[in-house]
Amino acid sequence: MTASPPRIPLSFVGKRLLYGMMTVFAIAVINFFLLQLAPGDAAEALAGEAGTASPEYIAELRAQFGLDQPLMLQLWAFVSRLFTLDLGYSFRYGADVADLIFARLPATLLLMTTSVVFAVIGGIVLGVTAARFANRLPDRLISFTGLLFYATPPFWIGLMMILVFSVWFGWVPTSGMENVLAFNTGWARAVDIGHHLILPALTQAFFYLAIYIRLVRAGMLDVLSLEFIRVARAKGISEARIGYRHALRSAVMPLVTVVGTNVGGFLGGAVLTETVFSWPGVGRLMFDAMFQRDLNLLLSILILSSVFVVVTNFVVDILYVLINPTVELK
Amino acid sequence: MSTRDVPLLEIEDLRIRVRNTPGAEILRGVSLRLWPGETLAVVGESGCGKSMTSLAVMGLLPEGLERTAGTVRLTGTPVPIGDNRAMRRIRAARIGMVFQEPMAALDPLFPVGRQVLEVLNEHQRLGRRAAWARVIELLGLVDLPDPERIARSYPHRLSGGQLQRVVIAMAIACSPEVLIADEPTTALDVTVQAQIIRLLKKLQRRTGVGIVLITHNLGLVAHSADRVMVMYAGRKVEEADTYSLFTAPRHPYTRGLLDATPNPERQATGGRLLNEIPGIVPSITDPMPGCRFAPRCVRRTEACRARVPDFTVVAGHGVACFDPVPRPGEVAA
Repeated sequence: MTASPPRIPLSFVGKRLLYGMMTVFAIAVINFFLLQLAPGDAAEALAGEAGTASPEYIAELRAQFGLDQPLMLQLWAFVSRLFTLDLGYSFRYGADVADLIFARLPATLLLMTTSVVFAVIGGIVLGVTAARFANRLPDRLISFTGLLFYATPPFWIGLMMILVFSVWFGWVPTSGMENVLAFNTGWARAVDIGHHLILPALTQAFFYLAIYIRLVRAGMLDVLSLEFIRVARAKGISEARIGYRHALRSAVMPLVTVVGTNVGGFLGGAVLTETVFSWPGVGRLMFDAMFQRDLNLLLSILILSSVFVVVTNFVVDILYVLINPTVELK
Repeated sequence: MSTRDVPLLEIEDLRIRVRNTPGAEILRGVSLRLWPGETLAVVGESGCGKSMTSLAVMGLLPEGLERTAGTVRLTGTPVPIGDNRAMRRIRAARIGMVFQEPMAALDPLFPVGRQVLEVLNEHQRLGRRAAWARVIELLGLVDLPDPERIARSYPHRLSGGQLQRVVIAMAIACSPEVLIADEPTTALDVTVQAQIIRLLKKLQRRTGVGIVLITHNLGLVAHSADRVMVMYAGRKVEEADTYSLFTAPRHPYTRGLLDATPNPERQATGGRLLNEIPGIVPSITDPMPGCRFAPRCVRRTEACRARVPDFTVVAGHGVACFDPVPRPGEVAA
């Protein structure tokens, strides 16, 4: 008794897969050259930290890392590794890059997903409320608070939340991802991680929340003035149902687009949040890799982030069709 | 007192103005009565307040407008038009509404059958299967071919005429006593217009629903209405049965409207195809003390500019004019 599900043609999937791979490859090569522009290399960074390195020692390190090879040869090595899905070796950590990243990826994904979910749900609920009470008190309160969070630097919000909720009230821990010394398992561990997760996830979410509220509010106001909303009212259905069922579904399209483009940004934002909250994720790893000129590691993380963006955009396109049956994929 | 003596829908002295704008009155005291099984046409040019009258009855006045006076009664009982919550049980259940733009009237993101279903689910307790069966039945009732397929279609797959039929199905889904059709054919092709009107009349014969037909298409009125009410600038200026109104219009404005309809017969006898009414409709904020049609009227007198003429009914033919067009056989005063 419902309509047939929207069709997602296989040719569309194939085409997008091909374009996606080309995009990721191009980003990888461009990043490779960009990183060459930065002064210094891994050998210098490592030797610099030791403080007593001789030029011979640095040269030896370079030879060991393959940094003495001509640039084009280095690129060739990098590209051929890429095609075999080998991310290489981090001399800095003395471990496979893949192992390093995948050990930390779950923490970042957890943080990212939670904060995206917070921001999207909060943005929708508050945006719809603001639109339904446009230019009245609830709308003004929501818009003002949203602007406040948007204008405040995330790291500062993070620090203030630690101060208030961890230090003053003692409700949640100040940092880290779990209490390792408790050796929790199963549910107890999940609850513990959730406890640690709240503050960093909220901190990341707040910044985007403000944007999402505005997007949803504006979209809702557009849709609410359309004729089919008046017709829906004439059917005798409730304002809440009109808002969430009829108006929101049309109004949410711009939000979907923006969330899709923000996912890359969430990874960048993770650097700050993960630093403030000592969250053991990829953001911190990327930040450290940059200062240590750990090229293999840094490039791999950048590639991973571009894969994220490409995949998200694909998901966004699919979401369009699910939300709006008049969209056709080609 | 039998139901025959109680009007189905009765509007009394409805006044609507723009909030916070002194003098901006959209309706300046409108009254009407709709009797069971009857079709009442409300005619007038754009901005005369005919759509606002219907929206007010549904309690759906746009934000920024307010009702300053007036009551609405449905079979004698006052309708709580100021109470959005209470109105939800009236809308669609007792008063159905058909709108002007079928292309814009349906949510583009849901199959049309689901949108008809939504009305049923709101007002009636049917099981899932029974409700869906009723949706199919309703779509068949409005003469849509292959209702099962149409029910699953999204609005962008259907034509304007088909969509208007769906909107009508939505409006009659809960067997309302009154159906308000606000320019139901304006956005449609001429051939489809006739079909839609015929459909409305067919449904009326079947269910006895009272229809308020809001339109500026006089041809449509002549064929489908029992009674006609003419509005001008927020007031009712004339009301009569369709035959009298067309053959012997009394208000100079009604006369002007009829003359402004293309008439090949008139042209053949040496006249013009159509005669427009000179001048323009006064602004709603214009603080005119007298008849609002006076500046454009060929029969205006001194009194017209000073006072608003009362609406007086003689032998079922009502008119608000100090110097109406004489009735046939009557000598002008």
